[in-house]
Amino acid sequence: MPGFESTDLTFFLDHDTSPFVLFDRHSSIVYLNDAAEILLAYVEKRELFDLALSYAPNDFGARTTPIELHYRQLNFYAVTVAYHDEEHIGIRLYYRPRTRALQPVDPSRFKTTNIHTILEAAIALFAMQNPAKLDLLTDADLPEFKLDQNGFSKLLRRAFHLFRASSDLHISLKMAIGESILIDHKRHPIIRFTITANGRYNDEDRSIKSLATEMRIGTLLDEHRIQLDIPFIQE
Amino acid sequence: MQNYATRSETVQQIIKSLNLTRTLYVSSIIIGEPWTGKRTLVRHLFPDVPMVDGRDQDAVETLLSQTDALIIDHYEKVPNTERLNLEDKHIIAIADYAGNTQILDEMFAFIYHMPPLRDRPEDILLYADLYRKEAAEILMLSPEISLSKEVLDIHQNLRSLRASIYREVLLQSGEREALERGLYHYFLNHLPQEADYHHHLGLLEKPLLEAGLHLYGSQLRLAEALGINRNTLRKKIHAWL
Repeated sequence: MPGFESTDLTFFLDHDTSPFVLFDRHSSIVYLNDAAEILLAYVEKRELFDLALSYAPNDFGARTTPIELHYRQLNFYAVTVAYHDEEHIGIRLYYRPRTRALQPVDPSRFKTTNIHTILEAAIALFAMQNPAKLDLLTDADLPEFKLDQNGFSKLLRRAFHLFRASSDLHISLKMAIGESILIDHKRHPIIRFTITANGRYNDEDRSIKSLATEMRIGTLLDEHRIQLDIPFIQE
Repeated sequence: MQNYATRSETVQQIIKSLNLTRTLYVSSIIIGEPWTGKRTLVRHLFPDVPMVDGRDQDAVETLLSQTDALIIDHYEKVPNTERLNLEDKHIIAIADYAGNTQILDEMFAFIYHMPPLRDRPEDILLYADLYRKEAAEILMLSPEISLSKEVLDIHQNLRSLRASIYREVLLQSGEREALERGLYHYFLNHLPQEADYHHHLGLLEKPLLEAGLHLYGSQLRLAEALGINRNTLRKKIHAWL
């Protein structure tokens, strides 16, 4: 391949969907690609550096290790760690692919909706069976947007059901500043809905993720919290 | 529109939630024992939405394909629920029992449980009063009767409550002739099985003694009022109460 060695591969690395970070010996970042910039919003630089050291090859060269890593909604199944020279070490993380291909979104199911109405109805339903104290922080100025009303109502019911044993629930609904979701090549702002309590059940996590994915709603399900990142679709 | 009669917080929350979602394309179901007021509530809130009987699969499927809003009654008796597409419509289903909860969870966004009357003591009193007035009006009798909790029959929820109150209104408003006619028919039916005179005497003496003691407070006063000997009264009380 003539001229290959003189080709600058950084351009390709920059646009790789897998995060890649190159550290120096003092754990300072020498290079990171676009995907790694997103990753660093969810994980500390030091943690990635320690991860690289833990899975570094015994000698020079590269080593790939299968390992399950979860940083909020980002899921990885393996890392490759390689020494560039004695001073630099690089780590690449491999995104876990989606288990099944997403069906195209059916636009007819997305109706202009006041999300507060659905939320209020879901809270009324939850309050019938649970005496929990609800602390509500919602942005009343959120405009109407397009939503699968039935699907989202089911999602809310299941999400609330996970907090059936909690005595205090904190609920928030607001625009996530500076974040967006890509759907069918269009970028949409995010409305973030969160329920937080001192604990929760996790028996519906799988069905919540599956239902949310159908509607292109991002999920973050951790020990104390359910977060739904809802695409703010207006046209 | 007149309010739906309830003092139950749970039922009020169901009404609130159904009202909030009335303009949305969501599927809801109300599950509860027979005669808890589910159908009346849904009809009250959605008088203009067409209603179909779930036992008729073809009718349900036809209406689902023709309309955006539908009430499906007896949902638990739909022969094949998996053939129904409830997405993208305003559906309110009514069911006497839940059946397969997993299927319900898949099909419905809002699942309400209408509490039975025994869990809504505040509604028992409310409906007892409403039925007392209704019975008095329909039967053209005085509504001034006293209803003790013992006579309120809620084993079939509102249905048996209403029946028990109608019976009570009739009984308490009954004049001598009506009571005698009632007793006449009772004896016609029961004398062939039990012809003992003293046994049937209790029909008269037991309520008489109970009411008398309630009114006069002591056996002495009651014996005086009835004009019988105190010992005779004591014997009768011993025999019947």
